[in-house]
Amino acid sequence: MKRISLTLVLTLAVIGAGCSSMERSRSLASPSTPAKTLAAQVCSNCHSIDGNSVSPNFPKLAEQQPDYIVAQLKGFRNHRRADPEGFEYMWGISRSLTDDQIKGLAAYFAAQKSVSPGPGDPKLVAEGKNIFDKGLPAKGVPPCSTCHGDHGQGNGEFPRVAYQHSDYVIKQLTVFQRTNERPDGVAMKAITHSLSDQNMAAVAAYLQQMPSK
Amino acid sequence: MNEYRSEQNQQAAMQANASATASGASAPLRSTRRGVIVRAVLAAATLAPLLLALAPREAQALPAFARQTGQNCVACHAGGQFPELTPYGRMFKMTGYTIGQRALPLSMMGVVSASRVSNTSKSDNPPADFQKQGAPIFATGSLFIAGKVTENIGLFSQITYDNYAGQGVAADGVGAGEFKGHTNADNIDLRYADRFIDANRDLIVGVSLNNNPSVSDPWNTAAAWMQYVPVPSPTSSAFVDGNAPYPGFGSGGNVAGVTAYAYLNKTFYAELGGYQTANRGFSILSAGINDAGTTKLKGTNPYWRLAYTREWGPNNIMVGASGMTADIYDDPTDTSDPNTIARTKNLGFDAQYQYLLDPHTVTAQLAYMTNDIHYSNAVANQPSAFASDAAGTMGLANSNSSDTTHTLRAKLTYTYQAKYGGSLGFFNLTGTTNTLNQTSGYDPTTGLITSDPTGALGATALSTRVGGNLSGNPATRGFTYEAFWTPVQYVRVGMQYTSYSKFNGASSNYDGLGRDAKDNNTLFFYVWGAY
Ligand code: HEC
Ligand code: HEC
Repeated sequence: MKRISLTLVLTLAVIGAGCSSMERSRSLASPSTPAKTLAAQVCSNCHSIDGNSVSPNFPKLAEQQPDYIVAQLKGFRNHRRADPEGFEYMWGISRSLTDDQIKGLAAYFAAQKSVSPGPGDPKLVAEGKNIFDKGLPAKGVPPCSTCHGDHGQGNGEFPRVAYQHSDYVIKQLTVFQRTNERPDGVAMKAITHSLSDQNMAAVAAYLQQMPSK
Repeated sequence: MNEYRSEQNQQAAMQANASATASGASAPLRSTRRGVIVRAVLAAATLAPLLLALAPREAQALPAFARQTGQNCVACHAGGQFPELTPYGRMFKMTGYTIGQRALPLSMMGVVSASRVSNTSKSDNPPADFQKQGAPIFATGSLFIAGKVTENIGLFSQITYDNYAGQGVAADGVGAGEFKGHTNADNIDLRYADRFIDANRDLIVGVSLNNNPSVSDPWNTAAAWMQYVPVPSPTSSAFVDGNAPYPGFGSGGNVAGVTAYAYLNKTFYAELGGYQTANRGFSILSAGINDAGTTKLKGTNPYWRLAYTREWGPNNIMVGASGMTADIYDDPTDTSDPNTIARTKNLGFDAQYQYLLDPHTVTAQLAYMTNDIHYSNAVANQPSAFASDAAGTMGLANSNSSDTTHTLRAKLTYTYQAKYGGSLGFFNLTGTTNTLNQTSGYDPTTGLITSDPTGALGATALSTRVGGNLSGNPATRGFTYEAFWTPVQYVRVGMQYTSYSKFNGASSNYDGLGRDAKDNNTLFFYVWGAY
């Protein structure tokens, strides 16, 4: 008996030491873990391996602008982006990532194909499209498309918003409007200033299903 | 969108709450039940600012796993209510606790509680039957050694101190009747895991060395994980939820097992393993438990688990089944006689639904288990010591050669902002009637049902007060209502009320000495913290 269990523990240890290839590592603190490995072994748990997260608690990263991903990961790492979910989930994940790993992760997710998580609330979509394409001139809200692109595809540090989960979009619009927890979003703070809850829900419903390129 | 929460607001609200409780509690309250709560709340209110002072703004200084991933408890625990896991928490466990970076692998957990049983008058010795009635107690404490060991190996181990584990007898150093604390290996799960994932396929495989069937399971409807709050030993808190029936494997814990598992495409989970006695090379798995208290199993006893899972939007479900067969020696100190081996067979079905979308968390859980026990030749077919009527007729059937029980547990939980929560639980244990279960009955010499504490009546077959069973049937049924508050992410303050409509086979007079099931209704207050 003693021998069996000792053998077992030793075998485990040997397998553990021998097979721990960096190819399938879940270590967040070793610069040698390839970005692709991190994406598959760690990020995929919440954001999905192709960046099309299932749960709206987790933003979709597929086809996201690489510059934007880099900026956000660095923002989490240096605690500049401090909205509650960012702090609860992403500060720890990003704390020891190297700049190179961040670049690799951004390239990985940017290269994935984004798919819609499903149609938005049909009662809201038309109003949302209107806000996105034309803004709300009466309230001084510019069209979202001016910065986020005609198809919501984003550009550089202007994030892709097309096909994003509507629950996540509403949450972020609220963060911009009511807090200073995303200081890189000063533009968004001004834009969301006079958006009503209804406006936010509408534009979010549209983004989730919008025809996109 | 007023549900939106900011960290700063949370801190401010916590402080406000703490002082509100403190001032509310100082108002005079008359009833004793409220008295207990007030005392416990006062204790919590004194504790809260202390904990707040310790509360870090950052996620770093949290229990071991949170330090390792740098994440908050809510990442892995649904609505922050430990130990229930989120889908990510389950992946963290299945991948061998290896996500993140090695950190100080130590955590501590403690539970302070107070409980009050509704009726203590139907007992001929209330101070003995309800020993800690209404008294705030330091119930249990645990030390965890947990964390990533290598790229593929991780450990979760819990060593628990039960302050009310046993009571001294005159011969001990401890005074007779005084409580003795006890420390032992509680849950241990050492695992090796690997994950093969690409765009088309996701396969997690692993091996776990553990000491309790289903402790390796990632779902909280598994027998080892469904209970809400660690509760102190029965003698000190007799009828709180943790002592009401839960599905469980016949072998119990503190056995030694190796299980292998696979999870394919986040859809199918299968686990297969075997359990043996936790002695010799495996004695670490029953550390702190003496030989006489260690379950002795014959050979290797098979355990299996299958589950189907699915995630859509903020929802996820699991539907599963599990089972185990175990050959258990009646007497842990004597494993020489094959006539003293009982065989238990368990078959369980469980299901869980979770809705997780900040700020709401909803969980519905269902667990059902049958336990078939074939008694050893030494235990089966034994005459009862009790008579069948007041005339002293020895007409009771001999004990059964086998019994079957069915345990059902259902629970619905809601938490808001990972701070405020409530749950409703239902439990129902049914089973075959067996004179072996009878701990109360007619005494053959006096014709009385008596616990005869003085011995004056000369009864030979004494009945058991309060915990007794007159019918020989185990049926126990009731509800548990709970409300809790998580002021900071690693402290939970809760209140539970467990109500019984049946206890030990009957609604009324279940012990033969006049006690009704509802007399056992219990209010339980706890402060549960981990650091
Ligand atoms: C435990 C779940 C979890 C894991 C694992 C995780 N994330 Fe996140 N991630 C989140 C959540 C939740 C948010 C939203 C944070 C917020 O609302 O501020 C987020 C946000 C992000 C964002 C910002 C997206 C946006 O649209 O602004 C990026 C980029 C990101 N994560 C990248 C990663 C990478 C890269 C990894 C792996 C190294 C990773 N995440 C692992 C939960 C997770
Ligand atoms: C002036 C340019 C500009 C306009 C106009 C604009 N945005 Fe933005 N938006 C930004 C920038 C820049 C960010 C990134 C902020 C950051 O890095 O924190 C952003 C971020 C966002 C995000 C968060 C994305 C994420 O993944 O976390 C959402 C959602 C969003 N914008 C929606 C809108 C909507 C809806 C409108 C129209 C009502 C709009 N934006 C108009 C510049 C703009």
